Amino acid sequence: MNTSVTRNASAVFTYGFLGLMAFLSVFPFIWMVLGATNSSIDIIKGNLLPGEALATNVGNFFTLVNVPLVFWNSAKVTILATVLTLAVSSLAGYGFEMFRSRQRERVYRVMLLTLMIPFAALMIPLFIMMGKSGLINTHLAVVLPSIGSAFVIFYFRQSTKAFPSELRDAAKVDGLKEWQIFLFIYVPVMRSTYAAAFIIVFMTAWNNYLWPLIVLQSNETKTITLVISSLASAYYPDYGVVMVGTILATLPTLAVFFFMQRQFVQGMLGSVK
Amino acid sequence: MSELQLSDVRKSYGGLEVIKGVDLDIKSGEFVVFVGPSGCGKSTLLRMIAGLEEITSGDLTIDDIRMNDVDPSKRGIAMVFQSYALYPHMTVRENMGFALRFAGVPKAEIEKRVNEAASILELGPLLDRKPKQLSGGQRQRVAIGRAIVRHPKIFLFDEPLSNLDAELRVHMRIEIARLHKQLSATIVYVTHDQVEAMTLADKIVVMRGGVVEQVGSPLELYDDPANLFVAGFIGSPKMNFLRGVIEPGDGGEPHARLPDYGDAKIPIKLKQAVPGAEVTIGIRPEHFNESGSAILDLTIDMLEHLGGETFAYARHGKGELVVIETKNGRGLKSGDRVAARFDPACALIFDASGKRLR
Repeated sequence: MNTSVTRNASAVFTYGFLGLMAFLSVFPFIWMVLGATNSSIDIIKGNLLPGEALATNVGNFFTLVNVPLVFWNSAKVTILATVLTLAVSSLAGYGFEMFRSRQRERVYRVMLLTLMIPFAALMIPLFIMMGKSGLINTHLAVVLPSIGSAFVIFYFRQSTKAFPSELRDAAKVDGLKEWQIFLFIYVPVMRSTYAAAFIIVFMTAWNNYLWPLIVLQSNETKTITLVISSLASAYYPDYGVVMVGTILATLPTLAVFFFMQRQFVQGMLGSVK
Repeated sequence: MSELQLSDVRKSYGGLEVIKGVDLDIKSGEFVVFVGPSGCGKSTLLRMIAGLEEITSGDLTIDDIRMNDVDPSKRGIAMVFQSYALYPHMTVRENMGFALRFAGVPKAEIEKRVNEAASILELGPLLDRKPKQLSGGQRQRVAIGRAIVRHPKIFLFDEPLSNLDAELRVHMRIEIARLHKQLSATIVYVTHDQVEAMTLADKIVVMRGGVVEQVGSPLELYDDPANLFVAGFIGSPKMNFLRGVIEPGDGGEPHARLPDYGDAKIPIKLKQAVPGAEVTIGIRPEHFNESGSAILDLTIDMLEHLGGETFAYARHGKGELVVIETKNGRGLKSGDRVAARFDPACALIFDASGKRLR
């Protein structure tokens, strides 16, 4: 009897807690979608029912924002950052795991330590570096600091532990140079790892806000996150328009995730089977 | 076909020497098996031949050309790995032709060689499948096929049957033996399974601790081991070792007294028998027979009936177990006291350091 009561109480608590967490995760999305259908004043009043202002909000958004340019800027920065980060970090992860050297673990630990440095501490030195290189207000200034990601290198090194060393030996006997082994054997075999890393890096790059805010100063170079932020911080912000922009900004990451979720899960579980 | 020579080959990792001066001649067309317990250096030595591990000192020559610093792909070798090492993203056909494609061999020639190898190994229907769609035995055949298409001078096999189940292992063992005969290839094969070594090899190299303990044909090693280690390693069930002390015989013939076996006396024939010396008497399980003149008084501890023969595990008091192979063991039972007889001429004698005394 007691056991049954305890079990039921435990289930009520578990489901209650999970329900609350699910609500906290999903509510902002629901609010975003409902907000896009309401006028700004209705959103401020806290109306949580579907409204009739969707067409007006969409029209206003396209009037206020040069949508093709902003999305092109975001896409350019994101794709460049993602491709370069994956290329550099996977090479580094492969190198850290495959090549034996006395200094390897020391260098690796120092690299991991950089994960503990908050970005706020790096902003000013980075800004000075970009300024001296004449890169301020260019997309390259947004991309460059993100390429050597300690986290992604760490992720690739850990995943590379599952890469069978005999494949590398077989490839050497087959006559492949190290770069060919990387390109023709490692990359295809580890494609799930790449897919998982792609999603993580893509989302980080697409949602990047603080650093682009600092280095991108003209309207022609601004990305979608900066534009939405500027709409929200206007003197009389139109929250309906902001919600439309937010929905549109969310679509690419949602699409990437839905197209690659199988590989993402596989990559997180381990590429090599 | 090709000759391979190792002269004082050594390998060190930092201050740790793992291969301690190996000298070996492998003749053209020979099937040589490196055998030894885990960690003895047999795989390391094979990888040194392949060029996957650097040689710290000494010379490796193939057809009289020094190969120490030659790239693995240019040594004229092909290797079959324990885990097959098939490229998972390629089909069987692509796996087999991959090395040739990189070597710039024309497409038609690659196709021809892949089809030849596929026909030798009966892989035809599997050519368009990916490795994950194959069974363990099929994967191993593909791995062998990948080696064959390169037309190597020397095949290197690194424990190729370890991942297969018992039945498949026997089948693949026969396949490899057939292949050796068919291709007349020079093969260097690593295994820790002495049954594989005995059945496949023209020549066995027994290794321990980075040192070659003995080289010889399977039966040479079985009948005439150079030391206690080789005697114990070759043969299944392993040779029985009985502790003894040499004593002068009454009529001039010395004998070994076995203190753990009721002071049984075994007549021995040695060029130089030193009275009082501690020795080990080695006797194989199948050498026990009813007509032998040496007798051990034993009590059966356990029996294994295999149908055709029986293995009796017996001991004297608290002494070491002795394994006896007999064809007439069906009537035996645990606890039976037996007089185990053997011909003293079959006994091998080793000194305290394990070296064979003759």
